[in-house]
Amino acid sequence: MATAVTFTNKPEELFVDKHVKYIQSLDTRKDELEYWLTEHLRLNGVYWGLTALHLLGRPDALPRDETIKFVQSCQHENGGFGAHPSHDAHLLYTLSAIQILAMIDALDAVDTEACAAYVAGLQKPSGVFAGDEWGEEDTRFVYTALQTLKILNKLDRVDVEKAVDFVLRCQNYDGGFGVVPGAESHSGQIFTCVGVLSMTNNLDRMTPASRDQLAGWLAQRQLPNGGLNGRPEKLEDVCYSWWVLSSLAMLGKLHWIDQNKLVGWILSCQDEVRGGLADRKGDAVDVFHTVFGLAGLSLVGWGGLKEVDPIYCMPVETTKRLFGPK
Amino acid sequence: MASYSSEEEEEEELDYTNDPVWADVTPLPQDDGHNPLAQIAYSPEYTIAMSYLRAIMAANDHSPRVLNLTSDIIGMNAAHYTVWGYRFKTLMSLDRSQTLEDEKIGWSWRQELEWVQSIAKRYEKNYQIWHHRQLIIDHLDDPTGERAVTGEMFALDSKNYHVWTYRQWLVQRFQLFDEEELAATASLLEEDVRNNSAWNHRYFIVLGRLGEAGPEEGVVERESELAKEAISKAPQNPSAWNYLKAVLRKGGIELATLKPFCESFAPILSPDEIKSSHALDILSEIYDEAGDSVKAEKALELLASKFDPVRKNYWRYRRRLLGSKPTPASDTPTIQATA
Ligand SMILES: [Zn+2]
Repeated sequence: MATAVTFTNKPEELFVDKHVKYIQSLDTRKDELEYWLTEHLRLNGVYWGLTALHLLGRPDALPRDETIKFVQSCQHENGGFGAHPSHDAHLLYTLSAIQILAMIDALDAVDTEACAAYVAGLQKPSGVFAGDEWGEEDTRFVYTALQTLKILNKLDRVDVEKAVDFVLRCQNYDGGFGVVPGAESHSGQIFTCVGVLSMTNNLDRMTPASRDQLAGWLAQRQLPNGGLNGRPEKLEDVCYSWWVLSSLAMLGKLHWIDQNKLVGWILSCQDEVRGGLADRKGDAVDVFHTVFGLAGLSLVGWGGLKEVDPIYCMPVETTKRLFGPK
Repeated sequence: MASYSSEEEEEEELDYTNDPVWADVTPLPQDDGHNPLAQIAYSPEYTIAMSYLRAIMAANDHSPRVLNLTSDIIGMNAAHYTVWGYRFKTLMSLDRSQTLEDEKIGWSWRQELEWVQSIAKRYEKNYQIWHHRQLIIDHLDDPTGERAVTGEMFALDSKNYHVWTYRQWLVQRFQLFDEEELAATASLLEEDVRNNSAWNHRYFIVLGRLGEAGPEEGVVERESELAKEAISKAPQNPSAWNYLKAVLRKGGIELATLKPFCESFAPILSPDEIKSSHALDILSEIYDEAGDSVKAEKALELLASKFDPVRKNYWRYRRRLLGSKPTPASDTPTIQATA
């Protein structure tokens, strides 16, 4: 399936039309095994593609009715959503389903009451959420649970304070956050933890010194070539343009990294012929790295892209409609 | 157990259409409004197995053959989370009816764990595997051999986040805060002094679960010596510096005691001899606390201009903080033009 990628040698240009075409093409690749092997991610994939299209200013590039129908078909009797009709419900796909519907203003198309009950049922006595019936616990699931409920305006269904306490227990000696208390700091987990604190107006539960230490750790993720990594001593990767940048944005410290260098590095990961972005130059493009590369560019104010909300990873147009202006 | 070979298992193909084991099952093709022919044209094996899975799940079948079917699918697509869940449900159901360890089905928890490990080695990035393993070990209530299993994984990638998460769960669940765990982190750090995962784990086992009481005597000294030795080997390694600072904080020891150590890596009056930006960073704090604002400023200016210019805004912010410890200075972004 590895189609040759033509990386751009013009890292000052964003190939908007190519990226739109690339995302539109994803649902027509049913003759490729890859399409079937990624079925367990389909609802995430629709969310990634749709968010990218919104940021590119082409919100109507996917057929709205079909999108709604597909999301509806993924809801289970228990209220949660699976990645695909034949896959079990899980918080990761439940949030994607609700985000998709929020972006296209169609939340009334599904049973939101059942959905909120499903999410609330996954909170554990410690405040954390399990991802599904199998009980895996992770700060990612606290984020997905709370954002889902916040969009549905049903945060009162869970114990927000306990969830926040759990998240705070995951902060490490280096300032970062991990998957559970004691687990190594990781930029992806930091995004979810800072996201929880931001969306519940609890950022001040961290001391100013601790916020600075965290932002300093995040700024350390920038490598000399401009790219960002997820942990010390790891390779740079386009998706961290989102996890690291959005966290810095929530902390008000975007300017602590060299944004121009990062922009050039992200742009160099574009396929200028078929569209899409790769995790780094030399690898195959995919929709995951495409949306997070674009979202990163949007955060640093790249002209021509719609503004993205660092807390919710949806267009600001959507979050304003949902939550009112900040 | 000795004759079990995961490689053989991989080669073995299931023949759903001819094997009598599957004769009573009518496969359910994909039905989501798409044309199922396209996928069949591409990968018959995966498509056939999936259509049998749909039929089996629809019938809520948890007979031993489910183990073969799910291992076949996982071998082709380890990230298929629903299949893992269904497999675990089946194992538990066989366990309850006491058929699991029965010779007739030829499968035991031990074999399951070995098979899981063979899949883990093939799909290092997969995390469903580790949660599956956790569910089993939790059920068996016995961690024997599990540290060795994670050790094998660290030999392939000593920073594998999923494996570390599992290892911490193991330590927590079975209270393995012991000498073996300490030695394991020491040897991983010996191999790679920059392994942040190993530093983090060491903190977890040595200092992470302490309450108000604080560390036992000698522990802070031992741990700071370890960090200092590591820093001498690699002065630009942030993990060891972070660990050192954290150990001192936990032990209630003032940062100022590090002054000579830091100055040996960052003599600010001879910038050409500076070997560590992290030493400069700590020195700026130490000088500031001591009221020596000239030296503190010098250290931060060296960071902004020479040793870490990519983060110059951060270092300038730190400069504005000097002498004002309790309340942070205002931090208005300086303009950074993008297209
Ligand atoms: Zn990535």
